[in-house]
Amino acid sequence: MKKIGIIGICTVVVLALFCFQPAAAEVTLRFSDWHLTEDVWNKSLNEGMAIFHKRYPNIKVTLEPVSYGEKETKYTVESAAGRAPDVFHVHAFSLPMFFGKGFAKDLTPFIEKEGPGFLDAWYPLPLKLMKHNGKIHAMPGDYMTMVLFYNTEMFKAAGLDPNKPPKTWDEFLTYAKKLTRDTNGDGKVDQWGFGTLGAKSPGFSLRFGPFIWSFGADYLTPDMKRSALDSAKAKEAFAFFVELYTKHKVVPPGLTAMGAQDVRTQLAQKKVAMILGSGWTPPIVNKINPDLKAFEVLKAAPAPMKRKQATAIWLSSWVMSPNTKHPNEAWELMKFITSKEIELKWFVDNRVTSSRKDVSGVAPEILNDKFASVLASQLPYGKVEPQIKQWPEIMDTFTTSLQEAVVGMKTPEKALAEAHERINAILAR
Amino acid sequence: MDFGIRIKDRHMWALFVLPGVLLLVLVLGFPAITSLSYSIKPEKAGAASYTLSNYANLLKDPFFSKTFWNTAVFVFLSVASHIILGLAVAVVLNRALPARPLFRLIALLPWVVPDVVVGIIWKWMYDPIYGALNDVLLKIGFISTPVEWLSNPKLALFSVILVNLWRGFPFVMLILLAGLQAIPRHLYEAAAIDGATKIQSFFHITIPGLKKMIVVALALDIVWEVRRFGLIQAMTKGGPGVLTEVLSTYTYKQYFQFFRFEYASAIAVVMTVVLLLVSLPYIWMISQEE
Repeated sequence: MKKIGIIGICTVVVLALFCFQPAAAEVTLRFSDWHLTEDVWNKSLNEGMAIFHKRYPNIKVTLEPVSYGEKETKYTVESAAGRAPDVFHVHAFSLPMFFGKGFAKDLTPFIEKEGPGFLDAWYPLPLKLMKHNGKIHAMPGDYMTMVLFYNTEMFKAAGLDPNKPPKTWDEFLTYAKKLTRDTNGDGKVDQWGFGTLGAKSPGFSLRFGPFIWSFGADYLTPDMKRSALDSAKAKEAFAFFVELYTKHKVVPPGLTAMGAQDVRTQLAQKKVAMILGSGWTPPIVNKINPDLKAFEVLKAAPAPMKRKQATAIWLSSWVMSPNTKHPNEAWELMKFITSKEIELKWFVDNRVTSSRKDVSGVAPEILNDKFASVLASQLPYGKVEPQIKQWPEIMDTFTTSLQEAVVGMKTPEKALAEAHERINAILAR
Repeated sequence: MDFGIRIKDRHMWALFVLPGVLLLVLVLGFPAITSLSYSIKPEKAGAASYTLSNYANLLKDPFFSKTFWNTAVFVFLSVASHIILGLAVAVVLNRALPARPLFRLIALLPWVVPDVVVGIIWKWMYDPIYGALNDVLLKIGFISTPVEWLSNPKLALFSVILVNLWRGFPFVMLILLAGLQAIPRHLYEAAAIDGATKIQSFFHITIPGLKKMIVVALALDIVWEVRRFGLIQAMTKGGPGVLTEVLSTYTYKQYFQFFRFEYASAIAVVMTVVLLLVSLPYIWMISQEE
């Protein structure tokens, strides 16, 4: 009887050990992205995270939305307090500031563990921009070029061939003048050729890049130590942009207060016929005014050129907080959201092209898409803004001067000369 | 209940005050000291431990001086217009109007709406293409072409101030309304019997009776307006040029957009000193009452 009792107890203990083994501890990661505030992206990200959770049931991801304009503020404050989300999404041009303050974790150990050739799938330029002191501190995300979007119906109404978009800036000006019209016959212009940002916004430099670079000029010298805005080509590009508003009047009034969404609304409401945009443009315009039938009516073309084909590149990046308590799980999440499969999902759902060559360069979904194919074709001509920590201040100074010229407070020459001096002072500091 | 601690009655006050003091130190003192210490740190790594260079750079910064001037104009015109409109509305709402509570509620509404929401709404109202304001003015023939309220260098700051007038007057109105209700009715009745006109009663009874409340409203409103941020950020982001840039937006920009923590802290300290100076009459008045 005693033996049976001992055997019974042992059996119960063994069964208990097998049956009641503690489940692997669930880890919760905080993931933050401004896209979570956008309907289309929010749905897509939630679906993506559901797939991730299926594959990694022990990793729970909580989503933290942040507005587009406030993301740097949120991540800066939280990083300084050691409480930033485990993984967050920022502009590539914000990276130098995050790197400089130690707000981004060095990803080299994780990448080395993945084995040689792991990074070969990405384009070299975005990878280069993810480096700090020679080491990868972020993973590249959306990688898109700025191109010209135009309304084919408005082209037809103005007697322009929608299959022949403007190829040069001079041609663009001719088109813009024809598209600036009084459509209701009340003697007042109610439709303009070109809509563009003029407000102080991170989006401004993306829209001005195709001007300054295709004119053969640049903001800074190649060593990024001095302003290059005193060149004749820079003056020409600056004056051309300003005069679209002041002299030719092909841009709607109120330019200095216009943000990206204002301009997209103008396109959606047929107030302007052409804008510079990227992959996000058609879905957003469609959302603003579904009656426009943006996916049918809009077309994309390379940004016009002056001396050479050039455009601005939009690049986003994924950062792991150095304060994360779960770096391995955070890396799994970063690897997942930048994987070939999921990058393709981001494109299919949100029309953003990827910084992965094996997605943007080969995926039939992209190469056969009427907008994405143009975006991808322009990648070889794409240029990124200088990746230095003073860049936001330099761009703010530049936009301030441009606004002063646009509203007639200063001549374009004087405004640009002042910007040149101030930028040199910033760089010398 | 005996916790084993015995405190003399005359020391009990310290125990009651302690939580409040600790909370103040935590939420006010700590950030203030951190900001002050940042402001005397050099921007360049490896430079001297403490420096006044950030303050010296403020004097050399052309944008800072313009921003300081813009702030002064913005605050002066905003506060002055708040006092005038707030007083006028308070006097009207102090009368025996039908549905007076409803009118008081309506008058308070602009103050209830968050700054950023007000900024976004008014940015749309001012829009030269879609804006309701231009549309109305065009229809009544007051203007022949749409006005660029936020892009015209002569109008931008005043357009923002106009919105701020609408946004901020209920706060002053509320304070002055409370003051008006405290003025004894019989003073007006006696003045009327003596043959005083309504204007004479206003200047010799209402204004003297509201003196303290006006000082309170002035001090508090100045502090509010120096700190006004969301409204301007949502409407103009300081543009065109730096015509509507004020100290609060400039500090934000330096800190969160340019990551110049030390320089931004120096601006914040200057702002704090200015606000303290402005608040002195108010503090003095409160202490006199005690």
